[in-house]
Amino acid sequence: MRTTAVIPAFNEAEALPTVLAELAATLPDHEVIVVDDGSTDGTAAVARAAGATCLRLPVNLGIGGALRLGFRHALASGVDRAYQFDGDGQHDPSQVGVLLDGLDGADMVVGSRFAGNGAYRVSRSRGLAMGLLRWLVRRTTGQGFSDTSSGFRAFRRPVLELFATEYPVEYMDSVEALLLAHRRGFRLAEVPVTMRERQGGTPSTRNLRLAYHFVRVLIVLTAGMGRRPRPVAAA
Amino acid sequence: MTGTAHVLVAVLALAALALILRLVRMQALKAKYSVLWLTVGVVLSVAAAVPGVLDRVADEVGVAYQPALFLLLGFGFLLLLAMHFSYELSRLETRVRTLAEELALLRHEVEEREED
Repeated sequence: MRTTAVIPAFNEAEALPTVLAELAATLPDHEVIVVDDGSTDGTAAVARAAGATCLRLPVNLGIGGALRLGFRHALASGVDRAYQFDGDGQHDPSQVGVLLDGLDGADMVVGSRFAGNGAYRVSRSRGLAMGLLRWLVRRTTGQGFSDTSSGFRAFRRPVLELFATEYPVEYMDSVEALLLAHRRGFRLAEVPVTMRERQGGTPSTRNLRLAYHFVRVLIVLTAGMGRRPRPVAAA
Repeated sequence: MTGTAHVLVAVLALAALALILRLVRMQALKAKYSVLWLTVGVVLSVAAAVPGVLDRVADEVGVAYQPALFLLLGFGFLLLLAMHFSYELSRLETRVRTLAEELALLRHEVEEREED
């Protein structure tokens, strides 16, 4: 079974070499696609030097846009499953196996920081927003996810087919993607994983922006409510 | 409106119509966007050229103060226009994203060939 990692990277030249080296050491038979999201620090060169496939976007599209491209490329190159992986060292390669095992009973698996393993702390406003999102997702999908915004996820090919064209491209894409997959009738699952504190950089979001996007996701949710779930084309 | 004001508005409206048509002919303004503007130009021209037409319409729809009707229409039109722009912007954004993706894939393909 062919498996690929999709790593969206925006100015991650510093952290990326370690991340890629660790991945290659832990999971040597996995392909790696790095999507350089309009970086200005040589991210692409670093990725290529490490032997990864690197797609360079001419402008910064944001994580969602970068992921969509990564999924699209993974699909075109014929993989059976793919997983999202962070370029900043937050995700642990040793946990990828846990994530992929989850695909045995689901089409899409979310690795959760909060579902048991490890201790991971977030600020209060972030915690509040996450709590609200958790509640919303539970109400909409009827399924509890303890970490709706986790970017540590794995997908089977049918989900990749959906995401290659319709992955939500705005910030908070992770929540939207969860709801989209649910609406299209895919089986979702959550598995507990451990994560590390991010190794470099600051969390990309300020509170105001968080609030704005929270409202935006609410609108997306409301707009999607009346829509009947479309059947999946091919399983 | 006084007679002079009518003439002034009529001249301005006709000038606007001429400008829009000219821009369309120069292909500086897409025909689809000109429709909205041409409508405004025509309505303004008619309102200016036929005195009393605005008053009569206002009476018909039951607006006591005629200028209010004019402002209401103007406001409604601007809202419509703003909405139209948001719609076009959303479409454009989708296209730009797709183009950026396509470009990244092509770049990758070219780089791969160069390596061979």
